[in-house]
Amino acid sequence: MSQHLDDLLEFHWMMDMLQTVDVGIVVLNRQFKIQVWNGFMESHSGMLPSDVRDKSLFDLFPTIKEDWFKQKSKPVFELKTRAFMTWEQRPYLFKFPNYRPITGSESFMYQNITLSPLISATGNVEYISMMIYDMTDVAVGKKQLEAIQVHMTEAQERNQLAR
Amino acid sequence: MFSVLVCDDSLVARKQVAKCLPQDWEVAVHFAKNGQEALVALKEGKGDLLLLDLNMPILDGYGTLEAIKAEGLSTKVIVISGDIQPEAYDRVTALGALDFIRKPVSPQTLAEVLDKFDILHSEPEPVVEAAPLDPDIRDCYQEITNIAMGQAGDHLARIMNVFVRLPIPNVNLIEVSELHMMLSDIESHEQVTAVCQGFLGPGISGEAICILSDSSFEDVAKILNVEGEVDDQLQLELLMDAASILIGTCLTGLAVQMDVNFSQGHPIVLGQHRAITEIISMNQIRWKRTLAIELSYGLEGYNVQCDLILLFTEESMKMMNSKLAHLLEDF
Repeated sequence: MSQHLDDLLEFHWMMDMLQTVDVGIVVLNRQFKIQVWNGFMESHSGMLPSDVRDKSLFDLFPTIKEDWFKQKSKPVFELKTRAFMTWEQRPYLFKFPNYRPITGSESFMYQNITLSPLISATGNVEYISMMIYDMTDVAVGKKQLEAIQVHMTEAQERNQLAR
Repeated sequence: MFSVLVCDDSLVARKQVAKCLPQDWEVAVHFAKNGQEALVALKEGKGDLLLLDLNMPILDGYGTLEAIKAEGLSTKVIVISGDIQPEAYDRVTALGALDFIRKPVSPQTLAEVLDKFDILHSEPEPVVEAAPLDPDIRDCYQEITNIAMGQAGDHLARIMNVFVRLPIPNVNLIEVSELHMMLSDIESHEQVTAVCQGFLGPGISGEAICILSDSSFEDVAKILNVEGEVDDQLQLELLMDAASILIGTCLTGLAVQMDVNFSQGHPIVLGQHRAITEIISMNQIRWKRTLAIELSYGLEGYNVQCDLILLFTEESMKMMNSKLAHLLEDF
């Protein structure tokens, strides 16, 4: 009996960890209905897991183009490979406010997203997981660096003209 | 001993340059009459320093510099030429020459330049003889890649309705300069875009580089059912998608056979519309040797050329060999 209890407790803290980890975790089924929606997603979107459970991703977020996303996740379901979206490609998939609403310079969160297959005991892929990483700091850093580079090139050109 | 190679088509000039070398400098001096001779001598290790003329028959100075760069020969080059147009200076330095000395050269200027680049005191780089890859192990890697490719090809064919021409994987232990060479082979004057992705398994780490020639994009868009104009943004996305599929399927195939799991980092775009050698020139110092598995994909009926290079660190080979021990035993 105590073994079962331990297992149950372990399951509980594992779930707690998934819930609180600072990375967005979403699990979708083949119909793109949301199965798991962790704390990160809840806090940033303001939608409770009970609000989104078994609802279509495309109904909840109309800005996500259905054809495009289906195309993107097709290899994940069919080939069991991962698919990636980077903030350089598209800054965000879910428009979430910046984590630092007061001191942050960007109004939204830049995101890197990984889609990976969840392989069932039978070897099939019925669900895929989507991980959402906050890349805002990296994006801001890179943008600043680029701005400085442009600034320097301009200054050099001005100097050459003045000579 | 440090060796100096003097390359000039004129005998007078060769003698003059040799005379200008610092008196107390203990070096072996060799001569070449044109670029082609110089390249042969360099490959024989006869030129830690090359003093190069520009205008020569058969292969001129520019051509020689290009060949040195393309073949990754390790030599320091100082150009000594009568052609002193500013553009000549820019061109040779862009091609990798350290400096440009105007003819006729004087002992003082040569000494100054040698001093400036700290060549007088430098030792020849020790030549480390690399142990070649054991043929049995190479065979084994080639075989598991073949199997992985076969599975990947089958998957790709089914999901995209295309026929994949399966390449014979090229397995080699290569050094930095050879990676350059390999990539310049692929380059063949075409502009390319590359994606690089790190992967990690227990005791195994490496990177996959997926290189797609720019002319392939229109057809890749067709295959992936993407409509509309293929602009830079879309190209990037197509490349990412194509790369994830190719890298993913191939890695999965390898992982299954080695009974490991690879985690993949986020892919990084190395460059859009740039020459390949430029793309990898930035980080050439951190590693010495790497196991490279090179695959060149083609899709029948489409103008798609895609190269996939899997690079494993030298340390990874220990783990890979032990995981593949059951295959190796049969030899």
